[in-house]
Parts: sequence; structure tokens; C-alpha cells
Amino acid sequence: MATSGGARNSDDQVEKSLYAKAEKIYPREVHGLFARMRVLGVLSLLGIYYIMPWIQWDGHQALLFDLPARKFHIFFITLWPQDFIYLAALLIVAGLLLFFVTALAGRVWCGYACPQTVWTEAFLWIERKVEGTRLQQQKLDAQPMNARKLRIKATKQFLWVTFAAWTGFTFVGYFTPILDLGSRLLEFRLGGWETFWVIFYGFATYGNAGFMREQVCKYMCPYARFQSAMFDKDTLIVSYIPNRGEPRGPRKRSADPKELQLGDCIDCTLCVQVCPTGIDIREGLQYECIACSACIDACDDVMGKMGYDKGLIKYTTEHEMKGGKTRLIRPRIVIYATVLLAIMALFAWSVMTRTPLGLDVIRDRNQLYRETSEGLIENVYILKILNMDNVAHTYTLKVSGIEGLRLHLDMPEIRVAGGGVMELPVRLQVEEGDLDMRSTEISFELVADGNSALTVVEEARFLGPK
Amino acid sequence: MAEEKVPGSQKCIAILWPSFLVAIVATGLFFSAFDPDDLYPFGNETGISRLGVYSIGFLAFWFVSAVSGVGTLYFAMTNCMRSRR
Repeated sequence: MATSGGARNSDDQVEKSLYAKAEKIYPREVHGLFARMRVLGVLSLLGIYYIMPWIQWDGHQALLFDLPARKFHIFFITLWPQDFIYLAALLIVAGLLLFFVTALAGRVWCGYACPQTVWTEAFLWIERKVEGTRLQQQKLDAQPMNARKLRIKATKQFLWVTFAAWTGFTFVGYFTPILDLGSRLLEFRLGGWETFWVIFYGFATYGNAGFMREQVCKYMCPYARFQSAMFDKDTLIVSYIPNRGEPRGPRKRSADPKELQLGDCIDCTLCVQVCPTGIDIREGLQYECIACSACIDACDDVMGKMGYDKGLIKYTTEHEMKGGKTRLIRPRIVIYATVLLAIMALFAWSVMTRTPLGLDVIRDRNQLYRETSEGLIENVYILKILNMDNVAHTYTLKVSGIEGLRLHLDMPEIRVAGGGVMELPVRLQVEEGDLDMRSTEISFELVADGNSALTVVEEARFLGPK
Repeated sequence: MAEEKVPGSQKCIAILWPSFLVAIVATGLFFSAFDPDDLYPFGNETGISRLGVYSIGFLAFWFVSAVSGVGTLYFAMTNCMRSRR
């Protein structure tokens, strides 16, 4: 969250901290409204991730990017490699949505929904259950290795590795049917590459959530670097209110801060202790801040105990901090929202009106044309018919473009199974007199029987001697 | 600039991480256009499952873009040092 007015870090300082050796951060456990919201976010997102691949829909896995079969199932839609554009569009929609949310509410993505945050929270939770509170963890790490420490560390590692391995397995289950994958796992018959990816993704989870943690946000995350470009003076930020807090200093609960000439900040440093990225929010906006609002919860709790008003650290905007009013509707928001809605509408429309039928016409490469024994000019094609629907269809093929063009099929009917591909050899014959040119444009039209909405037309060329 | 002090681990991340992202995109684009079963590298059938070809393709893309990253880092750093002298 760099660049904005309150930032005290000069470029030099940022650079030094970028290249300093990272010290382990022990975020203190925090309770409060925002912590509860994050737990809710973490639980529902992890729930979706781990349960989703097990859900079946219409005889197949509801969400399956079936790489071995080159088909993507998204509930009732089946996408093929030809439909790559839809996935690209979906990514663009996701990107724009992130822009929009960032302009409106700042880094809420980072604080509540980013996989890095979600899995780090899960790993932190395991760590706390095994090693205890922040203080107990710090004490344990300072100790020399002994039987008790070894037992605790081994338990944590075992739980982490198991959790990470399950995460890796689930990940692969999005790309190859998970029921089959699971049964093969139980029989120790996983394929080499499947095993590789389970371990790869499991290791990435373990490394990112167990060790790298906030460093991923600081050094690796592209969004963290450019999100400030979406910020303006009305974007929600987590901020300390210096006018109210300063001068900070410890005091007795009964003391009157005015008498002591102190602000509301009692300098308990709880806001620093709970911070997962290890910063001091009181130094102003910093690019490390992922807006998780753990410091808000911690400070509100302290303010409550001191009998002061809450909100010494709070969600606010630059305008509000300067005494103005936050404007919700502003050009940036309107533009992001308009573009987002337009692309979403276009996407929905194109998916809904998409014809689940594909036709490729490939000319026989060995011969331009040949003359039959009856003296007709013949061209040979291979038609590749792709039934992208989930049910089988019988199709009727028509061809047009030349007067008297005759179509010969080697099979009695064109029937393609749901999700199937058929290669159909086709011979076209015409009398030489009907040809005006050496190369004539013709078109194949494939129509599903009983459903004229399933129609596809493909152009091709008919070659002759003239 | 304090390039001599950049820890090796961060150099590794700077090389491996962006190339990893690029490799994902490249793999997606490449294999949506080409079915592994239709590829005949050096005129031979691969005899490897689709998942295997995707994986090898991904690792190859990753490797190639990582090599480019090493080059970028090397030139960027030697340039900075030269300009300081």
C-alpha cells in the first residue's frame, strides 16, 4: 500500500527491507469482528476447495478440468480446447472484478480471500494448536533441541505435511477425475505424473503457508505491487488515526490522558504483535499491509478495556481522515463497473448462445482432384465433426456452391456420441461442364436432426481441371 | 542499489517465480492449440500419456523462461555495477 500521503517509508527504506534477511514473524492470535469474518472466509473457501471436486453433476464431476480427456466440465457446460476463449474471458472478468473491488474497498482480497492468506491462516491455526500462543512459540524456538521440543515440532510437521499432501491430492483432483484418482491412491496405483503433481502442489502449499507466508505478499505477489494504482482518496484503508493517538505513551487505566498530555494510544504494541506481516500500522500506510484488520480487532479490544472510544485504528479513507466525506460513486468506480458488467453480459450471452457443434473440413492432401470412371470430377475431404453437446446426435450433411454437386458418404448415417469426435470421409462429384473455375468455393452445412438450432456451416474449396 | 547484498534465495525467487507464471500461460495456450496425441516430436510418437506430455511441456516452458530470467538478472546487475564505477 505504498505511495499515498501517509507513507513514511522512503524508497531507500523499502529497498533495504526488501533485501534484508527475513526474520520469523509470530503473529499473536486475535479475536474480534474482523477475525471472525476472516475465519468465516477461510472456512468457506477451504470448504469449497476440498469439497467441490467430490460433487457430481449429471454423471460427471461437477467441476473438472479434465486434462487427460481435453474437456472442461463446469456444471452443465462442457468446454473444449476450441473454447479456450471463454476461459480467457473468465480470467479477464476475474481480473476486472479485482480492480473494481480494490478501488472500492482496498485490499480486502488480500486480507480475507487470497489463497496465500487462507492457507497461511490454516497453517497458523495448526501451529497454535500444537505449539501454543505467540509467547510459547517464541520460547520454544529459543530453546535448544530437547525431547519435548522434538515431539512438538514433529507433531506440527506431521500435521502440516498431511494437510499439504491432502491439498495436493485435491488439486490434482480438479484435473483428473477425483473418484478414480482416490481409488487408485488407495491401491497405490497413482500414475507417475499424478504423483509428481500431488507432491509438487503439496510442497508449494507447505512452503508458502508454512514458511514463506508474508514474504510471498512482499516479494512475490504482483497484485501487491500494482494495487496502489487502483487506489484513490476514497478507497477503504486500514489506518491509525494519529491526531487522536499521538503523543502515545503508557498510563494507568485511571489516569486522565489530558492531564498527562497523552493521546489515546497507550503504546501497548498489540497492533504490531498481531500483524501477520510484522509492520507497525502507526507509521502510516505501508505496502506490506494486507488490510487483514487484525490490528483493528486488537486495538478495539484495548480501547474497550481502557474505556476509550473504539476506532483508533479503523477502516477509513484518506478523505475521511482529512475531515471530508467519502464519495462512494466516483468516475473510477463507474468506469470499472461499466466495463465489468459489459464483459460479463457479453460472456454470459456468448456462452448461452454457443452452438455445441464443431466442424472442420480437411482436404485430402494427396490429390487435388481425380476423374472417376464415369468421367466426373471428384474431390475428397475429411470432415471432423465435434459433438460438444452432452447427448448423442444424428446429423444431416448438405453441400452447396456448385450446380449438380453430388455428395457421397461411406456410412449410412452420421451419428456422434455426446462429447465425441468423428472423422468422416466425404467424396464430392460434379460434371466437368458444371465447373466454371479451377477453384470454386463450396460450403458444407451440418444440421442436427430434430434440432435446427444445432447448425454449423463451414466453407471449403472444390478444385477442378479448368 | 545494494545488489551485492541481495540474498541468493531472493534471486532464485526472482528467476523461478515469474517464469513459473509465464510457463502456466504458455502451457495453456500451447496445449489448447495442439493435442499431445497429435504431436510427433522428431517424427516419432511420444508414447507418453497426455498428462505426461502436458507436464513435460510445462516443465520445458518453465525451464526456458527461467533461463531467460537468469539472463535478464545477469545483464541488469552487471549493468548497475558498471554504471556505479
